[in-house]
Amino acid sequence: MSELEVSGSDIYLQKNIFFEKGKKYLFKANSGHGKSSILNFIYGSNSNFDGNIIFNGASFDSLIENRRTKLSYVFQDFKLFSELTLWENIKIKNNLTNHKTNKEIKVLIERLGLSHKNEQLVKTLSLGQKQRVSIIRSFCQPFDFLLLDEPFSHLDENNIKILTNIIDEELKLQEAGFIMTTLNNEYFFQYDKILNL
Amino acid sequence: MIWKLQKKTLLPLQIFGYGITLFIGITISLITLTAYTDISPILYSESDVFNDKSVIVSKKISIIKTLDKERIYFTNEELKEIENKDFVKEVSKFNKATNYKIFLSSDMFGFGSDLFFESVPDKFLDVDSEKWEWEEGSDFVPIMMPEDYLQLYNLGFAESQGLPLLSKKTVSLASFNIRLTGVNKSKKFKSSIVGFSSKINSILVPEDFLKWANKEFGNYEESKASRILVEFSNPNDESIIEFFEKNNYEVNQDKLEKNKLIFFFKLSFLFVFLISIIIVILSIGFVILSVNLIFQKNKDILINLYNIGFSLKQITFFYKLIISMVTAISILLSLISSLWIRNLYSAKLISYFDIEVSNSVLFISSISLLIVLLILLNFMIVKRIKNILVS
Repeated sequence: MSELEVSGSDIYLQKNIFFEKGKKYLFKANSGHGKSSILNFIYGSNSNFDGNIIFNGASFDSLIENRRTKLSYVFQDFKLFSELTLWENIKIKNNLTNHKTNKEIKVLIERLGLSHKNEQLVKTLSLGQKQRVSIIRSFCQPFDFLLLDEPFSHLDENNIKILTNIIDEELKLQEAGFIMTTLNNEYFFQYDKILNL
Repeated sequence: MIWKLQKKTLLPLQIFGYGITLFIGITISLITLTAYTDISPILYSESDVFNDKSVIVSKKISIIKTLDKERIYFTNEELKEIENKDFVKEVSKFNKATNYKIFLSSDMFGFGSDLFFESVPDKFLDVDSEKWEWEEGSDFVPIMMPEDYLQLYNLGFAESQGLPLLSKKTVSLASFNIRLTGVNKSKKFKSSIVGFSSKINSILVPEDFLKWANKEFGNYEESKASRILVEFSNPNDESIIEFFEKNNYEVNQDKLEKNKLIFFFKLSFLFVFLISIIIVILSIGFVILSVNLIFQKNKDILINLYNIGFSLKQITFFYKLIISMVTAISILLSLISSLWIRNLYSAKLISYFDIEVSNSVLFISSISLLIVLLILLNFMIVKRIKNILVS
């Protein structure tokens, strides 16, 4: 990013910026402007920045604890295990947290039209299907914030609408908020704040 | 589920190869180790009354020396030189009975013969000190015979003359008469044989007795030493042989042979042991490389697991378990095989030699090796995965 671009940012070089639980934030920026980086800073998987990230007045407790109970992340590159089936990819996460019942997971898969792909290896799925699987996986844990890194980039409008509903329901259920990044599409959510990077 | 995923990352052939080489290396080293501990006491043990750490040294007799008898004696300088060697603890001379007549007879066997007596300091002999004692005024003198004399009698004399064979025990039960005759003096003693030696070719009596008899019957003069007793601080020092060879001294041959034997025995065991240790080290190096390869090849999976909330402990557990299990099974199999091989030879050893065979060396060394390897490998696995996750 050039200096001019950074100085116009709503986040970079700001003294501080707050994200409140239960609210929806959208980061808008072109490619290469650090959308994923910001999410990675928050998630703790990238520490190449100056400054502090503070949760509830305290800095990170334990990285792993945060990732299991406070932050759930839908990665831009999905981070699915291509050697496992669709069902196993979701279960591997849920077994860690025991957050959802098998029935709840099955309902989600059904709603996203992937039931027939349950036993298929993830490496055989299309990008859009993988995107949906990674969103279902992200629901398999308690969280305060859902981090969504360009989550709909490979989906058609119909699927995006279904997902918008499902995400809204899950946020309500968990009384959580989200931070989503996008290139310029604002999709169908009601945002509390839109930030330009 | 995570196990199912990680199982797919393994390279089974490589891990199996590690298990096999580790098994071979450890089995050989365990067998060498136990064979060494089993066999060395046999090599070092002695049943002779002559104590184990000493040898009798004389000069080699050549044609010149037969003409000039003085040359067979050790000079004081030579004695000093020997005494000053690192491996020598003490040097003593033989005491001789001089200038009086000794006659030994036996009523039981009906024979008599002129004899000579010598003595060595008591500490060179491994004989019960109560039996090997003489006090002034006592008319019983214990004597010690070369084992060859008994064999000469049994195998030569008794056989050709139709006389009964004598065991060491029967001979030691027999009593003898000794008459010492000096100038104008004569005295009779009772005697019996209290021990045999295959190393000292001489008839020995207690040193106190000989000193007294030399004073009483002979005209005492300092005897010259044609053979000396050398006590070693470390009888297995290899430089002993070298020193005696260099100075043209003669040492009882069997002692020398034994030292050579022990030297080669040690050397060959050391050689095999070193090779087996190299095999073990190579197998460990191999598994470290192959585990590293697994981690590098499946870097994405490891990082993904970490990213979706698995802890370092959970991610490393599977690999730690597999490597620990393979290591433990290999060592267990090695232990079983070396116990089995040991049983094969120990039955024979026990029947030939009076030794005790215990398996504690085997158990202790394999358990300690297992612990060291488990700590090392687990530490390595955690370190490598940690490096990948935080990079």
